[in-house]
Amino acid sequence: MGNKQTVFTPEQLEAYQDNPFRQRIAQVFSEDGDGHMTLDNFLDMFSVMSETAPRDLKAYYAFKIYDFNDDDYICAWDLEQTLTKLTRGELSAEEVSLVCEKVLDEADGDHDGRLSLEDFQNMILRAPDFLSTFHIRI
Amino acid sequence: MLRAALPLLGLLLAGAGAVEEPTQDPGLPGEPPPGLELFRWQWHEVEAPYLVALWILVASLAKIVFHLSRKVTSLVPESCLLILLGLVLGGIVLAVAKKAEYQLEPGTFFLFLLPPIVLDSGYFMPSRLFFDNLGAILTYAVVGTLWNAFTTGAALWGLQQAGLVAPKVQAGLLDFLLFGSLISAVDPVAVLAVFEEVHVNETLFIIVFGESLLNDAVTVVLYKVCNSFVEMGSANVRATDYLKGVASLFVVSLGGAAVGLVFAFLLALTTRFTKRVRIIEPLLVFLLAYAAYLTAEMASLSAILAVTMCGLGCKKYVEANISHKSRTAVKYTMKTLASCAETIIFMLLGISAVDSSKWAWDSGLVLGTLFFILFFRALGVVLQTWVLNQFRLVRLDKIDQVVMSYGGLRGAVAFALVILLDRMKVPAKDYFVATTIVVVFFTVIVQGLTIKPLVKWLKVKRSEHHKPTLNQELHEHTFDHILAAVEDVVGHHGYHYWRDRWEQFDKKYLSQLLMRRSAYRIRDQIWDVYYRLNIRDAISFVDQGGHVLSSTGLTLPSMPSRNSVAETSVTNLLRESGSGACLDLQVIDTVRSGRDREDAVMHHLLCGGLYKPRRRYKASCSRHFISEDAQERQDKEVFQQNMKRRLESFKSTKHNICFTKSKPRLRKTGHRKKDGVANAEAANGKPQDLGFQDTAAVILTVESEEEEESDSSETEKEDDEGIIFVARATSEVLQEGKVSGNLEVCPSPRIIPPSPTCAEKELPWKSGQGDLAVYVSSETTKIVPVEMQTGWNQSMSSLESLASPPCTQAPTLTHLPPCPLGTEEPQAPLNLPSDPHPSFAFPPSLAKAGRSRSESSADIPQQQELQPLMGHKDNTRLSPGIANSHWCIQFNRGGWL
Repeated sequence: MGNKQTVFTPEQLEAYQDNPFRQRIAQVFSEDGDGHMTLDNFLDMFSVMSETAPRDLKAYYAFKIYDFNDDDYICAWDLEQTLTKLTRGELSAEEVSLVCEKVLDEADGDHDGRLSLEDFQNMILRAPDFLSTFHIRI
Repeated sequence: MLRAALPLLGLLLAGAGAVEEPTQDPGLPGEPPPGLELFRWQWHEVEAPYLVALWILVASLAKIVFHLSRKVTSLVPESCLLILLGLVLGGIVLAVAKKAEYQLEPGTFFLFLLPPIVLDSGYFMPSRLFFDNLGAILTYAVVGTLWNAFTTGAALWGLQQAGLVAPKVQAGLLDFLLFGSLISAVDPVAVLAVFEEVHVNETLFIIVFGESLLNDAVTVVLYKVCNSFVEMGSANVRATDYLKGVASLFVVSLGGAAVGLVFAFLLALTTRFTKRVRIIEPLLVFLLAYAAYLTAEMASLSAILAVTMCGLGCKKYVEANISHKSRTAVKYTMKTLASCAETIIFMLLGISAVDSSKWAWDSGLVLGTLFFILFFRALGVVLQTWVLNQFRLVRLDKIDQVVMSYGGLRGAVAFALVILLDRMKVPAKDYFVATTIVVVFFTVIVQGLTIKPLVKWLKVKRSEHHKPTLNQELHEHTFDHILAAVEDVVGHHGYHYWRDRWEQFDKKYLSQLLMRRSAYRIRDQIWDVYYRLNIRDAISFVDQGGHVLSSTGLTLPSMPSRNSVAETSVTNLLRESGSGACLDLQVIDTVRSGRDREDAVMHHLLCGGLYKPRRRYKASCSRHFISEDAQERQDKEVFQQNMKRRLESFKSTKHNICFTKSKPRLRKTGHRKKDGVANAEAANGKPQDLGFQDTAAVILTVESEEEEESDSSETEKEDDEGIIFVARATSEVLQEGKVSGNLEVCPSPRIIPPSPTCAEKELPWKSGQGDLAVYVSSETTKIVPVEMQTGWNQSMSSLESLASPPCTQAPTLTHLPPCPLGTEEPQAPLNLPSDPHPSFAFPPSLAKAGRSRSESSADIPQQQELQPLMGHKDNTRLSPGIANSHWCIQFNRGGWL
C-alpha cells in the first residue's frame, strides 16, 4: 500500500480527476456515502478486490458502482452518468441516450426498462472475463 | 505453325518442368528472320512470372479441392494436406526433370513469403489481449526459446558423446547449439495454420501465437551468434563475444520493435492525409509495412518483430483514417496474401523434402532431436508456467500447459534457416537438414493432426464467438477505469494505472496527431460499437427484408406487437420489426393486386435499404479516384436508414411496456373517428409523408389539429412528428444527394424521374398525387375501425413513449397478451393479396384533401431545410416535439459519420 493516507476528501480526489471513477469508488466504499473512507472501508475495498472474494460480492460492488442514485437499479440515468464519464463528454446527449437505450435493451431481462442486480449478474456472467479480471493485486 | 506448337508443349509441361526449353532455345536466334511473324512465342520472356503465377494457381486449386470435402478438412489441417501435395508434386517434378526444382529458397521465403503472413497476424492481432498477456508471452518467447535452444543443443551433444549418433556427423558443441537454436523456435506460420482450425480460447491462442512471433528476435540472435561462433571456431571466441551476444539480443529485439513503431507512426501519419486519394490507402499500408520489414532486415534486426509491431501499432489510427472501403480492401488483400504465402510455403516445403541430395539421414540424431524438442518444450512450459502462475490473475492450468507444449510447432523458418547454413563451416549440414525436415514434418503433420482430437479430448476451453454487445464494450471500459481508479486511490501504480496513463496520453496527443480530425471526432469506441451494430442490423435487415416480404406478404407496421414478450434478443426484435421499420409500407398496403404490391414493397425496400446503384457505376469509371463523398454518403445513408429502423424497434419494444398508457388514447381515437374530415386529413398527412416526404404537409396538419382539437393535439402532433422523421431522414438524404441521387433514392412526387419505370407509371402512388395516402387513412379509420383503433393506439402510444423517459414506465406485463391478439387480426384483411378492396372508392372530399395537401407541398424545400435547425433549438424542450428534435440531431450525427 503505497499511500499511507486513509481518509480521502473530495478535494483530494478532485485533484486526480483524470480518472473519472475515483470519486465514485470512494463514494461506494465509504460508509457515509460521500467519499470519506475510514480504514475499515479501505480494507473492505481490498477484500472486495482481492482474488479470493466470491464472484457475487464482486458483481454486487460493481453494480453499486454503476448505480449512481442508489436506488438498487441501474436505470437510464445511471448509465448516462457512466457513459458521460467514460466518454469525457465527447458524445452528445442524444448519442449518450441512444447508447443507453441499446445497453438497456441488451441486458434488460425483465423488460422493466432498468437493470436489476439480477440482470446485471446475468449479463456479467455471460462474458466470464469480466469478473475474472476484477482484481487488484498489491 | 509447328514451331509455335513446340513451345506450347513446353508450356503444358511448365508446371512439371520447363527444363526442356533451353535445348530448343539456341536454335531460334540462329534462323534467318522469316519476315513479319503472325505468331510469336516468347516463353522465356515470361517464364519467371509465369511460373510463379502457375504455382500460386496450383496451390489455390489444391486448396479448392481440399475444401470440396468438408470431412477431410475438418479432420486434417490444411497445412498437412499441402505438405503432402508438395511431396507428390515434388516427386513428379523429380521424375520428369530428373532433378529437384522449385524448392523453398531462403531468400524467397524471408523476403516475399514470410512478410505477408506476419503482417496479417500483427495487424489483426487482438491488441488488448496481446498486451494483457504480454508478460507471459515475453517469458515464453525469450526464456522459453533460450531454454529450448540450449537444452536441445546440449542434450544432442551429450547424445553424440554417448555414442548414439553416428560418427559421420561431424559436429561439436557449438554446431549442436546452432542447430538447437534454429530448431527450437516455435514457428508462427505453422502455429497459425494449425491453431486457426482448432479454436482454442483466446488467451491460450495469443500466448502460443504471440510467443511464436516474438521469439523471432531470440532465434535470429541465437542463430547469428552461434553461426558466427561456429565460423570463428570455438577456440577464437572470447568472453567479450558472449557479452556481445547477450547485448545483441537486446539490440535486435528492441531495434526491430523500434523500427516497426517508427514505420507504424509514419503509416498512421500518412493515412491522415489521404482524404483525396482514397484509392492508394490500402497500398500505403502494405508498402510501409513491407518497408519496415526490409529496413529491419537490412539492419539485421528482427524483421518479424518489426512488422508485427508495425501492424499492431498502426492499426488503430489507420483504421480510423482510411475509408470504409479501403478498410475492406486492406483486410481482404492482407488475408489473401497471407493465405497465399502460407499455401506456397507448405507446398514448397513438401517439394523441397523430396530432394534427397541434400539429405543425410542419421536415425540417432533424428530420433534424439524429436524426443528432445518435445521433452524440453514440455518441461520448459511447465517450469515457466509455474513461475508465471505466481503472478498471473488468471492461472494457466494443466490442460493449457499440455496444449501449449504440444502446440509448439516447428515450421518453415527452421527449414529456411537450416538451408542457409554454410556446408563449409558446418560439415554436418546435411544431417541437420534431414533432421529439420523430419522435425517440421512431424510437428506439422502428426501434431497438427492430433492436436484437434487432443483439444477435444482434454476439453480445452474453446473460444466462443459471440457478437460484440454494447454492454460488453461499456463494461470493459468501465472496469478498466474502475480498476485504475482503485489502484490510484490506493496509491499503487500497477498495470491498470499505466494502461490508464497510456490511454490518456494516446487520447491527448497521439490520436490528435495521427487521426484526421473528422475521424478523431467520431472515434469514441462505445459509439463505434453502437455504429457497427447498427450497420450490421441494417445489413441483416436488407438481407432478410426482401425475403420476408416477398414470401409472406406484408406485416403491417402498426402492429409491432408481434415482437413481444418472448423476444428478448435485440436482433430478433429487429428482425421482427424489420418490415415494420419501413413505415411507408403502409402506403403500399392498399395497392390493388398482389403483384403490384410486391413490386412496390420491393421498390420501397430497395429505396430504403440499398444505395443507388447507378451512381456507383459512374464513380467506378475513374481509376484513380473512388469519389469519396459517394462512399461517405453511402455510409451516411445506411446509418440514417438504420436510425429509422432503430426508432421503430424502440417503439416496438416500448410498446408492450406502455400499453396502459395507450388506454386513454382510445377515447381520443374514438373522438377522432367521429370527426370526419379533419381526422382524415390528419391521418392523410401521415402516410403521405411516408411515401412522399412532404414535410410541409405534416406541419400543416399539426397546426390544423391544434386549432381543431386542443385535447388531442398532443397525440396528433406526436404521431405526425414521430413519422416526420422518416420523411426528414430521406429528405435530408435528398438534399445531400443533390440532383441525380434523389431520383433514385426515393421517388418524390414533385420531381418526375427522367425515365419512369413501368411500375412508376402504373403504380398510382408514384404519380404525384396523394390518392393512395388517402386510401390508407380512410381504410384505417373507416373500414376496419375496431382493429385499427388498436393499431392507432399502439403506434401513438409507442410514439409517445419515445418522448418520455423509459424509466418512468411501469412494467405492465399482464397487459401484454391482448397485444398480439388485437394486432394479428387487422393484418388479415390487409394481407389479402390481389383483392381490390371495395373501400377504394373514397369520398371525393377526402381524395381532394389529400391532393391539395400534396400540391401545397410545393413550398417544402425551405421548410425542410429549416427543420433540422429548429430541431437543434428545440432540443431541451420537453414537449412532444422532443421526439422530432431528437431524431433530427441523430441524423445530423449520421451526417458526420
